[in-house]
Amino acid sequence: MPRQGQSVESCIVTEFKKKVGDKVAVGDVLFSYETDKASFDEESKVEGTVLACFYSENDEIPCLSNVMVIGEPGESFEEFAPAASAAPETPAEAGPAPSAEVNVVEAAPETVAAAVVPGAPVSPRARKLAKEKGLDPGQVAGSGPHGRVIARDIEAAQGAPLSGLARAMAAAGGLQAPSSGSGPAGMVKGSDLKEWTPVTSGISGEGEDFVVEKMSNMRKLIAKSMYNSLQNSAQLTHMLGADARTIQALRKKAKKALEEGRIDANITINDFVCYAVIKALQKFPKVNSHCLGDSMRIFNTVNLGCAVDTERGLMVPCIPHAEKLDIIALSKALKKVADDCKKGSINPDLLSSEAASFTVSNLGGFGVEWFTPVINLPQSGILGVGTIVPRPKAIDGGMAFVPYLGLSLTYDHRALDGGEATRFLKQVAVEIETLDVEF
Amino acid sequence: MSQGLRSIQLLPDAELLKVMEDFWDGATLNVARKAYSGKDVKELGIRFLLYGAMAEIFARTTGFNKGLGGSMHTFFTPFGIYPNNAIVGGSGSIAVGAALYKKVNRKKGIVVANLGDGAMARGPVLEGMTFASMDQFNTLWEGDMKGGLPVLFNVMDNQYAMGGQTKGETMGYTFPARLGAGFKADAMNAERVDGYNPLAVIDAFERKKAYLLEKKGPALLDVVTYRYSGHSPSDQSSYRTKEEIAAWEKEDCIVAFGEKLKAAGLVSQADLDAIRADVDANIFECYKLAIDFDLSPRMDLVGKDELLGDMMFSNQSVDSMSDAKPEVLMPLEENPRVKQIAGKERFYLDKDGKPVSKMKVYNIKDGLFEAIVDRFYKDASLVAYGEENREWGGAFAVYRGLTEALPYHRLFNSPIAEAAIIGTAIGYAMCGGRVIPEIMYCDFLGCCGDEIFNQLPKWQAMSGNILKMPVVVRVSVGSKYGAQHSQDWTSLCTHIPGLKVCFPATPYDAKGLMNSALQGTDPVIFFESQRIYDKGEMFHQGGVPEGYYEIPIGEPDIKREGKDITFLSIGATLYRALEAADLLKEKYGMEAEVIDARSLVPFRYEKVLASVKKTGRIIIAGDACARGSYLNDLAANITEMAFDDLDAAPVVLGSRNWITPCHELEESFFPQPSWFLDAINEKIVPLKDYVPTSNQTSAQQVIRAARGV
Repeated sequence: MPRQGQSVESCIVTEFKKKVGDKVAVGDVLFSYETDKASFDEESKVEGTVLACFYSENDEIPCLSNVMVIGEPGESFEEFAPAASAAPETPAEAGPAPSAEVNVVEAAPETVAAAVVPGAPVSPRARKLAKEKGLDPGQVAGSGPHGRVIARDIEAAQGAPLSGLARAMAAAGGLQAPSSGSGPAGMVKGSDLKEWTPVTSGISGEGEDFVVEKMSNMRKLIAKSMYNSLQNSAQLTHMLGADARTIQALRKKAKKALEEGRIDANITINDFVCYAVIKALQKFPKVNSHCLGDSMRIFNTVNLGCAVDTERGLMVPCIPHAEKLDIIALSKALKKVADDCKKGSINPDLLSSEAASFTVSNLGGFGVEWFTPVINLPQSGILGVGTIVPRPKAIDGGMAFVPYLGLSLTYDHRALDGGEATRFLKQVAVEIETLDVEF
Repeated sequence: MSQGLRSIQLLPDAELLKVMEDFWDGATLNVARKAYSGKDVKELGIRFLLYGAMAEIFARTTGFNKGLGGSMHTFFTPFGIYPNNAIVGGSGSIAVGAALYKKVNRKKGIVVANLGDGAMARGPVLEGMTFASMDQFNTLWEGDMKGGLPVLFNVMDNQYAMGGQTKGETMGYTFPARLGAGFKADAMNAERVDGYNPLAVIDAFERKKAYLLEKKGPALLDVVTYRYSGHSPSDQSSYRTKEEIAAWEKEDCIVAFGEKLKAAGLVSQADLDAIRADVDANIFECYKLAIDFDLSPRMDLVGKDELLGDMMFSNQSVDSMSDAKPEVLMPLEENPRVKQIAGKERFYLDKDGKPVSKMKVYNIKDGLFEAIVDRFYKDASLVAYGEENREWGGAFAVYRGLTEALPYHRLFNSPIAEAAIIGTAIGYAMCGGRVIPEIMYCDFLGCCGDEIFNQLPKWQAMSGNILKMPVVVRVSVGSKYGAQHSQDWTSLCTHIPGLKVCFPATPYDAKGLMNSALQGTDPVIFFESQRIYDKGEMFHQGGVPEGYYEIPIGEPDIKREGKDITFLSIGATLYRALEAADLLKEKYGMEAEVIDARSLVPFRYEKVLASVKKTGRIIIAGDACARGSYLNDLAANITEMAFDDLDAAPVVLGSRNWITPCHELEESFFPQPSWFLDAINEKIVPLKDYVPTSNQTSAQQVIRAARGV
């Protein structure tokens, strides 16, 4: 098989013009063949008889290999047969497979960083990742080229676990976690978190009449979220009193039951109010909602948020599916989340403002009668519960003093109109006034 | 202007009125009407012609090309006026393409290429004359196609080029007419005529027209005339005396012809004065309208900043540019190439998962062929030509089988004249045809620089989107042939606004992209790599479909998924990127995502950005020399758009800024799989116990840049 051009490695025989046994003369066409570019005829250069033909039509034949043997009848020809190694099916170079199934090397072959180098460069991706994870990339050893801190270093550096609160605070941004914290086994607590960037404002130090204290991180978070709430919604507050005689009676009954050991929960006035609010919310699903700007998320479950005052500041944990709880279970749940907040062991998922569908904030214990609570966005409303004060009420043609509970409903006017908000608030009062629970 | 006036004279009033009323929905006519209150449609036509041209000169939207052609390119195709070219001699080959269109598509009439004597030095003119004079029109083209091209090179021999004087200074031909002898046995029927005598010129034109209609073209006319003003506003005419100008002015052709008319008793001086006053008034009125900003506004590119961008491409999808039945020599299914392909495997593995041999695997050449032959059977206007197209399927056998399928006038060999190959294709498309010119080696793009830089990409927008440019320029990128036959000039083409650029690397992509290119109406520079013409389809499951399908130009394709790093490759570099990905996985357990750009212009970044978001790391690789390449453009844009996702700056792997060395040394020049790993180790993420083979350090980059290599 002749080689037609340097790049041609094999040709296809399209037609054999002579068969074994045929006599051939010089110039007779033995076979036709083609390359990928052109067709050729191979002429016999000798006279004789075709003794052998090693291929069939349409075979692909490597260049410079024997195709036929011409000689005198009786002569041997086997020695001219192409070697098995030069078999017609010469595979083309396979090239890399599209989905390589090469022997997989075990994971983690990438080199590991040596040490933390002050001022080491940080890749943009690593910087972004560190921020998301609340890490200080300056405290991380870089394993990238020339000591650069790269993404994998941040991933590897999240060794010291963060407490739930610290995670929640870090996720909100603006804070970073040290490589190890003051908690058990180096756990990073909320109080361990540091500011993300150094304070650059000039306000610092003390004067004669004042002292400048930096805001705690928790304070800053609260500040941000409250400011954000007032800036980004249309809030107003309706106030309404509810006759508290029923729940005061229930409270008395509960106290007695606890003392007598019939129940194992200290059901407070607030627990009863929350129980009444849950009932009212189920009748006003539009209040039990999130306002998302151009749409509303209406809940078919009551995830009740409950404002808790802690040493660190205000926290609002949530009790999911509160409508499924009886009064005792509700009372216990409210106590548990409040205690968890005070201890700092609250699950951060429960602190998200997205977790609750409605919030109750009770300042009654401090003697506040009415107030204007601030909505925890994106929730559509928050109920402020005040203290109980005696008010005159017309009863049976005369006047009497009756204990009244102050209810202050702040709602987002984007989500609700005044009529609906008022009807809801009234419903809360009605539920409180007619509350009937067994325990 | 004379062509416009003649068209107004010839067109029936109703047709003329319709042309004017339809044009820009009457916007131009509505203003032109303010210069004429009479009822004569021809008179209105004259105002329309004057106003449309002037508004164009002043770059107004009511101009013939929305002001986008501007002062140097005024034209109006409905009157048969094709673009003036601001590149001296630029139309020399375009006009020949227009004549080719007339001939192949059996359109009536002749084409006149108006040139100056200075343009006779220009390559496109000389190459255009060469192309127009090819013997094959008479020796090989058959039936009614036999015979020369109907094109007249009409040279206005006004004695001067730019500042240079053609006779006695910058040229040696003595008379432009003498050039005819160099191109054609009958010297292109060249004739020198007194341009100051209108009747002599009319006579000469009639002789030339008759000659061309006898299919004897091309013809050459050397019209002796003079220019009173200089070539440009900066021309101080210091190369000639005032006396010389005065002497010519004394013989002024308009004055002299008036005198003759008077002597013959046909007009009085008062008649002549009245004509002159009328012409002056028309021009002045139209001029005033054209500079009135309320009537003739400029395009608002501040308020609508994408307006011009939207005009760069016509982006149409058109099966056929012709209503005629495509002329072919055999049913497609009888074609030997079609039969040969039918016996091939359309995926690189056979049904047992073994690689199919090189001879039996459906490859990139087959993909290109299928798309092209399909279009030849769909679009009667489609022609293809290049330096080696008719014989043995061309230098790389892509066209094998086309010779049997097509008559000469649809597939032919051109002279070795790249400027004419592309220039004629532009003229062919400008007149309404679809064409595949071939540049055999990418390196030769330099030989058609003006056509690729200034002509092909520009006329769609410069015409105000009146013209379409369905030209698919096939460009084969070489390798193994050293410095002048192995260069990748894709980046040059991406730099030129108005060109679409693609570079497929697989049979599936080659066929799909070629189908898209041939279905479209825009100029596409279609790169092919000689390294991989034989590659089978390794990616598209099920192999290359037998039927028609399109791959949109601009959509990159993920050839292999990975999570640790992204490789974005251009053209044949894909296969080296895949080899690098294999090495990376084998030795370092990292999984590379390999994306094939497939197209360079337009280019959709979405998939690349999503990949970088995932991996944080990217190498962009191609065979163009790294400096100033499109690779850097991609890298810069990715950096801007995905900065915070990046774990390292995007790394560009291009060829060295050298000459391409001989075949045996090519591995030092073109990006190799090992370079990917070297770059990863040096710039992205150090690899364990890695020993680099090439120097990819920044320090070395600085040194090389300082040395200019």
